[in-house]
Amino acid sequence: MTQTEYLIVAIIILVVLAVTFIVSFVLYKRTPKPKGCEDIEISEEKCAGCNNESCAFYKEKDSIEVLKNKKEEK
Amino acid sequence: MKREKGQTKKNFLKGIIQENPLLVSILGTCPALATTKSLEAAIGMGILFTIVLLCSNVLVSLLRKLIPDEIRTPAYIVIIATFVTMVKMFANAFLPELYSTLGVFISLIVVNCIVLGRAEAYASKNTVFDSFIDGLGMGVGYTMALCIMAFFRELIGTGGFTFGQIFTFIPYTALIIPGAENFKISVFQNPAGAFIVFGLILAVMAFYKNRKAEMKAWEIKQAKLKAAEDAKKKLEAQKANVGGQQ
Amino acid sequence: MSDFVTFILAIISAMLIDNVVLSRFYGICPFLGVSKKVKSSLGMGIAVVFVILVATCVCWPLYTYILEPAGIPFMDTVAYILVIASLVQLVGLFIKKYSPSLYKSLGIYLPLITTNCAVLGVVQTNTDTGLRFIDALANGLGTSIGFLVIIVVFSCIRTRLESANTPKAFKGLPIALITAAIMAIALMGLQGLFAGI
Repeated sequence: MTQTEYLIVAIIILVVLAVTFIVSFVLYKRTPKPKGCEDIEISEEKCAGCNNESCAFYKEKDSIEVLKNKKEEK
Repeated sequence: MKREKGQTKKNFLKGIIQENPLLVSILGTCPALATTKSLEAAIGMGILFTIVLLCSNVLVSLLRKLIPDEIRTPAYIVIIATFVTMVKMFANAFLPELYSTLGVFISLIVVNCIVLGRAEAYASKNTVFDSFIDGLGMGVGYTMALCIMAFFRELIGTGGFTFGQIFTFIPYTALIIPGAENFKISVFQNPAGAFIVFGLILAVMAFYKNRKAEMKAWEIKQAKLKAAEDAKKKLEAQKANVGGQQ
Repeated sequence: MSDFVTFILAIISAMLIDNVVLSRFYGICPFLGVSKKVKSSLGMGIAVVFVILVATCVCWPLYTYILEPAGIPFMDTVAYILVIASLVQLVGLFIKKYSPSLYKSLGIYLPLITTNCAVLGVVQTNTDTGLRFIDALANGLGTSIGFLVIIVVFSCIRTRLESANTPKAFKGLPIALITAAIMAIALMGLQGLFAGI
């Protein structure tokens, strides 16, 4: 194969990869969670390691303390 | 929409102090620990990072009405990867020493949470100018945080600072404190030192935050006590008044 | 020395001496974020092992047989991040659809791996340093197992740290970072293990 042909193949592969990523991303979002896992992300599996609000696992740092304070106020 | 006065300045400063990406939000820790061996490398990393953040913020906010909501994240990742490739080639061509020192960590800007986080949280909702200022503030804040870490690591680890090894266009200068070679702690140049310095900086930040909260609680308590006392005095005065009248 | 012995040595060296978290600084975010419980750190670690292995197997041939002959080796970072991200999404999709039990233990950590520096870092160093395929595989295997071991050990320590009486300013992340520093010093003792071989 000449280099031009290689280049065309490479570009096709990159485009295919991008399309795969976008399609699988959308499909992943649309697929409902399997049975028994609906509330799994709300409970204990979230992390407070960093303050990245856009992360799917973001949990407010002091949420436990906030809850406690609310209880005390009541 | 009318702009408030001083909003731009506020927008710029929040990235440096209140929302510092490294010291407050604890984002982008990987390059912060790996590239802070020397002050020069930290500055270089900070500059490259700022360029990527600025470009991606501006482009994302330019395209914010064109990109469908559902495929936002993939589009941002591709945009950021493109800019990182450009910055990588730029560094390879003009600053080869910096390129070889930082190594794979230039590529790793792609997966840095700060760039993607700012694109999603800020640039996708705000105007081009605001996003530019936000990116500049965040970039400068990150660079300053890197410099703070590198300052302590290089000072304690080697006993001074050397310049001119990575940015070859400035003359080579070594500012070593006389007699400090005998007292340097070389573990601070090793990976373990990075963890220690970062942990101690975070502890100092937490200490001041705790103290501030305690002061505030104390002030509130004092104000409450004073208010209660005042009310008591008033009541007594009233009683005395009533007694006097009788 | 036979290829097999080199393979094993490369795995051990990538796993312990050049540990991915404590001396190469990849993947600090999940190391600090998902290490509060042993169970969740185990899930994260296994997911990382899987993704790194598959990504190495895909990205190395992609670079060597397609990007380099085509004259565009500078597109490697874009190609790798696309491969990793679509791999993560595809595997996640599969697990979400067909295996609830696997989703419960691994699936929720998969989306986090796209932005895990460990995967991109390993794949990128493999081609940057021009390793052979077998060496790249050894590097990937050693790195990912090193990540798994370290994050599980660290989460065991952290569960005890929670109940320890640390100074108030050190609660949470700072003491975790100091612990990581002590672990890094311990691993530094292994340097030069294979110097004689």
